[in-house]
Amino acid sequence: MVYDGIIFGLIVGFFRGGLRHGLVQFSNIRLKAGWIFPLLLVFQFLMFDIQERSSTVAAASGYIYIAVYVVGLIFLWLNRHNKGFWLILTGVFLNFLVMLVNGGRMPVSVEAASVLDPIYLQMLKSGDAVTKHFLLDASTRLPFLGDIIPLSSPYPRTQAISIGDVVMNLGIFLYLLNIMTPAAVDLKSQPKVQG
Amino acid sequence: MSKLKSHAATLDSGHMYALSICLIGMSLFSYTNRFEFIHYETSTWVWIYAMTGACLILNFFMIQLPPEGNELSMDSSVYLACIFTFGTSFALTVLLMNCLFFSIIDRKTSWWKHLTNFSIYCIMIAATSALFQYLGGSPGALVNTQLFMYLTVLTVYFAANTLLVGLYYYILYRGTLFETIKDIIKDSVFVFLCTLALSLVLTVLVYHNQILGLMLFMCLAVLLSQSFKKLFAMYRSIEDRANTDQRTGLYNHSYFEEVLEQEIQKSRSSGAPLSLAMIDLDDFKKYNDHFGHLQGDKLISFVGEMLKTESQKSGTVAARYGGEEFTLLMPGYDSLQARDYIDQLRKKLNNSSFHGVEIFPLGCLAFSAGIAACSLDIHDKSQLVDQADQALYYSKRQGKNTVHTYGMHSPLEQELDFSQDVRDIEQQLNLFMYKDMETFRHSKRVFRYAMDISELLDIDPISKRNFTLGALIHDIGKLEIPWNILNKKDKLAPEEWEMVKWHVTWGKKMALTNDKFKELAPYIELHHERYDGKGYPYGFKGEEIPRLCRMLTIIDSFDAMTTERPYQPTKSFEEAIIELRACAGSQFDPELTEFFIEYIETREHRTGDTAV
Repeated sequence: MVYDGIIFGLIVGFFRGGLRHGLVQFSNIRLKAGWIFPLLLVFQFLMFDIQERSSTVAAASGYIYIAVYVVGLIFLWLNRHNKGFWLILTGVFLNFLVMLVNGGRMPVSVEAASVLDPIYLQMLKSGDAVTKHFLLDASTRLPFLGDIIPLSSPYPRTQAISIGDVVMNLGIFLYLLNIMTPAAVDLKSQPKVQG
Repeated sequence: MSKLKSHAATLDSGHMYALSICLIGMSLFSYTNRFEFIHYETSTWVWIYAMTGACLILNFFMIQLPPEGNELSMDSSVYLACIFTFGTSFALTVLLMNCLFFSIIDRKTSWWKHLTNFSIYCIMIAATSALFQYLGGSPGALVNTQLFMYLTVLTVYFAANTLLVGLYYYILYRGTLFETIKDIIKDSVFVFLCTLALSLVLTVLVYHNQILGLMLFMCLAVLLSQSFKKLFAMYRSIEDRANTDQRTGLYNHSYFEEVLEQEIQKSRSSGAPLSLAMIDLDDFKKYNDHFGHLQGDKLISFVGEMLKTESQKSGTVAARYGGEEFTLLMPGYDSLQARDYIDQLRKKLNNSSFHGVEIFPLGCLAFSAGIAACSLDIHDKSQLVDQADQALYYSKRQGKNTVHTYGMHSPLEQELDFSQDVRDIEQQLNLFMYKDMETFRHSKRVFRYAMDISELLDIDPISKRNFTLGALIHDIGKLEIPWNILNKKDKLAPEEWEMVKWHVTWGKKMALTNDKFKELAPYIELHHERYDGKGYPYGFKGEEIPRLCRMLTIIDSFDAMTTERPYQPTKSFEEAIIELRACAGSQFDPELTEFFIEYIETREHRTGDTAV
């Protein structure tokens, strides 16, 4: 789900700002502690790989993910002056919150999971193999923050997402749009000068 | 504790109103909603999110309407659709989520405004859904046969909205309640119809196509908002083009007239000073002849550009009056401040370099300016422009590159001008010698009264001049009345009387033919207006008639009462004073009447003393 906002932002940004301008702006992105973000990404992929093999790591995966989230939140906090980062921060925090109160795992509702591959639903129900998620039930805390929104046709991908994901992606989208179309800012300030 | 007290002191009825609205709104919310959302199914939550998102998007994509600042959000249609499809408590939860998110996004607005807004919506939604249930509606699909019920419910929704918002503005701005509500209704009928149709459409779409229906609705709403935005931008650009002068980018003549009118009104109601400057580039014709019109245009643009930046800095309004004449309207500046400001502008222009300035006599760019300050006596915007124009010509006569304020001549110069003016008017009055001796004598007497009175009144030299000359010339229009009517001994027939009434208008026209006497026109035209508005020619009332004109009316009537005429009873001064008192407040300004009576009494007293 992280990628949807990026993809939409890029597409709309290129349309509005032009390909060349967009790329130039893109290369000008300066974020505080910018190295954290790719590092977290790589780390996450490594985790997927490791927890298949090591059971100790798999057992602690909940806490490790929470640690990853905390680092991510710090990164976002440092860059909160950028447009859209407040929304990203809010979204990530909402996801973080629901995982925190549920032992480091994301609850998924049956309704939302029903749009996914049935095998995946089976795996959720059996409660093994999928360590990052679990099936939502009566004992789940803050269920409304979990992955309860089903995405399917006409949306190009089938997914179950949370409200935090939506807010976060909106933030990413706005951020990309903002850096790729500076012309929009000029347009707005024009009438003032004329007056 | 003292802090609390000072807070309490600043509380006014507006705050009290907001507070009570908040209390009512929140208690209605907890009573109707009962915080059911804690127990919602996850599928319901998905709908809550969807509807909240829809509201937020609609709040973001407002529909802009001219004039400036008039926006409408279609979020009401979402709330109504929620009531119709999902029920009251659902609608209130959506409202809560929406307000929460919105207050996070829009942190500039203070929290209590968000809370008041939330409470107003709460009351509207609660009242509407109560009525909906009472009329037999139940959440679900749109029922074809009950269209009337939906209409009633929507009307109540808007009535509640108008009343709550109208009351707020009524308390805040102290208008009349009826007028305020009428204005709101007038503005929002379009919104009402729009929301009505949209909410029903959304109900149908959501019920039959769920999320897809909502998405389609949002597409339409966003596109609608975008097209309105385009339309609005077009309106703005056309408006700008209609109001600006293409050469200089300053406002044009017609816009200036509009603003002048507004500013005069504003200055009258608030009592804040207002000054107008007329600026004329010196020797522009010479420059034009020397370098050609193209270069001349460049010079005009250059000066216009400078005036524009300067006026934007100082909050004044600069306009191109025509040719090489500019006007600068300065709200909040009295004549002294205006003079300093314009003089500073003049020096700045002197110091700015431009191609070919060496051909000017002074070797630099220069302008002459005339300043006129708005006073209570000015009852027409053209008068102010006229005064500034006269001041401008005066400064041109002083050798250019100067700033002159209207009415600031040297005293000796004024004296000379004044006696010249008196002679000019007397020359015209001499015609009465053969036509109507009485009018001639009357004019002279009124003139003498006016001279005396003007010494006692606290007025500036220019008003003094105008008042006394106005008194001398006020009956000049009677020259047009035929000899037999003017000297008729019997009572006048109605049509003859109508003709006599015309003398004020004819007199004004005569005065307008001479530039020097233009300013006397109000005295001639308005000296038969009455304080209660029953006079002629316009029927102006009270303060609408300039103060000195009201004074002239009293003098005029007093003299008419006390004049000796053969075969007619004459009033003594005492009788005339009683008569004046009787008519004070109806025909005459009561305050000025007392002033005049006091003057007459002291004068009589003095002459009586000397006689003894």
